Amino acid sequence: MSSYYISSARFFFSKFPISFHSTNPFLSPIKPPSFISFQKISTKSPSPLRSSSSSSTQLQPMEELPPKLQEIIKLFQSVEEPKAKYEQLMFYGKNLKPLDTQFKTKENKVEGCVSQVWVRAYLDQDKNVVYEADSDSVLTKGLAALLVNGLSGRPVQEVLRVSPDFAVLLGLQQSLTPSRNNGFLNMLKLMQRKALELLIEAEKGGESSSNGQVVDDGLSPPSGSSEKPIENSILDSKLDENSGVESGSEKGSEESLSDLGSRGKRIREKLERELSPVVLEVEDVSYQHAGHAGVRGSDGETHFNLRIVSKEFEGKSLVKRHRLIYGLLDEELQSGLHALSIVAKTPSEAEAK
Amino acid sequence: MMEGVVVKLPSFPFLNPSISSPSSSSSLPLRLGFRRFSASLPAVKEGSVSLGHLTRPDFPILHQEVNGSKLVYLDNAATSQKPTAVLNALHHYYEAYNSNVHRGIHYLSAKATDEYELARKKVATFINASDSTEIVFTRNATEAINLVAYTWGLSNLKPGDEIVTSIAEHHSAIVPWQIVAQKTGAVLKFVSLDENEVPDVKQLREMISSRTELVVVHHVSNVLASVLPIEDIVIWAHEAGAKVLVDACQSVPHMVVDVQRLDADFLVASSHKMCGPTGIGFLFGKSNLLSAMPPFLGGGEMISDVFLDHSTYAEPPSRFEAGTPAIGEAIGLGAAIDYLSQIGMQKIHDYEIELANYLYEKLCSVPNIRIYGPKPSDKVQRAALCSFNVENIHPTDLATFLDQQHGVAIRSGHHCAQPLHRHLGVNASARASLHFYNTEEDVDDFIRSLNDTVSFFNSFK
Repeated sequence: MSSYYISSARFFFSKFPISFHSTNPFLSPIKPPSFISFQKISTKSPSPLRSSSSSSTQLQPMEELPPKLQEIIKLFQSVEEPKAKYEQLMFYGKNLKPLDTQFKTKENKVEGCVSQVWVRAYLDQDKNVVYEADSDSVLTKGLAALLVNGLSGRPVQEVLRVSPDFAVLLGLQQSLTPSRNNGFLNMLKLMQRKALELLIEAEKGGESSSNGQVVDDGLSPPSGSSEKPIENSILDSKLDENSGVESGSEKGSEESLSDLGSRGKRIREKLERELSPVVLEVEDVSYQHAGHAGVRGSDGETHFNLRIVSKEFEGKSLVKRHRLIYGLLDEELQSGLHALSIVAKTPSEAEAK
Repeated sequence: MMEGVVVKLPSFPFLNPSISSPSSSSSLPLRLGFRRFSASLPAVKEGSVSLGHLTRPDFPILHQEVNGSKLVYLDNAATSQKPTAVLNALHHYYEAYNSNVHRGIHYLSAKATDEYELARKKVATFINASDSTEIVFTRNATEAINLVAYTWGLSNLKPGDEIVTSIAEHHSAIVPWQIVAQKTGAVLKFVSLDENEVPDVKQLREMISSRTELVVVHHVSNVLASVLPIEDIVIWAHEAGAKVLVDACQSVPHMVVDVQRLDADFLVASSHKMCGPTGIGFLFGKSNLLSAMPPFLGGGEMISDVFLDHSTYAEPPSRFEAGTPAIGEAIGLGAAIDYLSQIGMQKIHDYEIELANYLYEKLCSVPNIRIYGPKPSDKVQRAALCSFNVENIHPTDLATFLDQQHGVAIRSGHHCAQPLHRHLGVNASARASLHFYNTEEDVDDFIRSLNDTVSFFNSFK
């Protein structure tokens, strides 16, 4: 098990100050892991090994993580049974866009994995980093897909800020061996390293290397992005969503409005009525969760992404805002709504962005 | 060396009461070929009690749950478990007489020295070396091979000299020789596998020529489970004027190994694979060879006199044991040898052949499975391990699921034999390896869990 990627990545980490808050409302009680693997990795000076995740109070706040990654974390937290976690993991892997053989190079190979893993990275036209990955082991492929889904299409700085500690929150650690966990970390490190390299190259202004090129992958413009059939790449939909948000248009939400089912529509109506939002985006992402047993059997409309900008949030802490929204949607939560991924901002906060 | 200055009768920690035998005290290892006395244990299987069942209670670590299931430990080729006798010996050393060896005058150091040198004698007797000075304690077998490579190798190999080995060797038997070959201009030649998936012994014989200086081979393969005819190989090598280094890591713990009968020039093994602690292993080298070898690591203990401009060196084995050794661990290894001898290596071997056949047969019943190495038969004995792959399922996935859902510990990877895996056309394989404290029930549990695992992954495709 090689750890040189970990140590080499520390170098990058030390350049970017990361603040750790002392409490994390999203930590769910997790059994102390029987292995002490990735806990070694800390962006601070080497800290002593901690053998219990619950004793770690220095997890990166969830809000700093890319939104998709937050969603994935919540998903895995809601799936209790290890076998179901595996199934969900493998489901992600199955839907991962295949990586072209030409990209399965030594530079793209993740070191220290017991199975073979490749990661490819490039910047899209908005200078967000896009990832593709593959592996010959289905569980590892699932992990790679998890990272690809969680990080792809995000700004480089955001990707670089991701601390590997979030792996605890997934609760997969109990389901995965330490060596695999380290493979997971090495994957993340490689992805971050590549993101950084791409950024540096792009800032140099060079267009000669293929890494710095703007890649037109034949991505379709945002259209009906929320209810893509499962076979299509989740990656594409993410890019569409991202470019939709970035361009500041309401296109994304308009698209999803037309595709919302009855619950989605009810959610929209309720939130519009109660919060008079300046911006309201409701996206049905239930298909992403179709893989695990917790959702099987329901007829969709179980998971939603919400983005709300409203004056009602002024003066309220993040926790209060979420509670408010959950309160408004309580009926839905009782009748099959499984989880919400919420971004709740006041108008001034949204503008400051 | 202080050997023999203080003569104290060694006191052995009482060997496992659960292996009770009428004459237990008489089978305690002494100097002269005790090993040939068959242990006074009952036959391998007495009624329904197998050696595995008899010895399991001696291994506390086996009686636990992992991930909610009973532990089924099948990774013995990677490392073996230790009986209470060994744990007690280690503990007792540190509690009662820990002291630096060889140079001290006082009581504790004399006792520590006695026990340490006694452990050396036990190793010598265990493999039937003619003298305990032919045993050099090292950190493990890997270090022992490096010792030979950097001392004997560097001083004997010249450009064009050939080192004959096989593609199925453990990395520790290949890499040091690559390094030394590069430094000396010697050439490494590799024997491939024959149609039975065993190193091609005929090809090996043909490859040995007057240019051959060294033959490096494993006794038992940690992937293929095959056993090589070391006696024959040594005869052919000696005829051509070449030396033989035997990697006995997978043989010494599981069967009778007699270096005089094999006539091996060098032989290496690790303690942790033979129920002893980690951190200690040994090199056996014929006296005349060791005497001619320059030092390996420099420091205390390996010297005779030290001046500012030069030093003179000690006789073997001290010459190759610089610094404070792993005293407790050596004594622990001694206790492990006592334990194994108490059972009797022939009995262990016989039982493990049965287990090996049982494992192989059961594993064959798993659909779409591919087991590497030869098929067991009357003529072909397999060690009690199987490396395998199941079609369309990555071995890492298998091993992960087996561990998480069933508490079954196997290994997945290249098992430090990348060239072999490359030859077999795979990146990795899964491996289940047994030891005498495993039982047929362990195999049954494994197969049941494996079938469940395979179904799980197949259902997802």
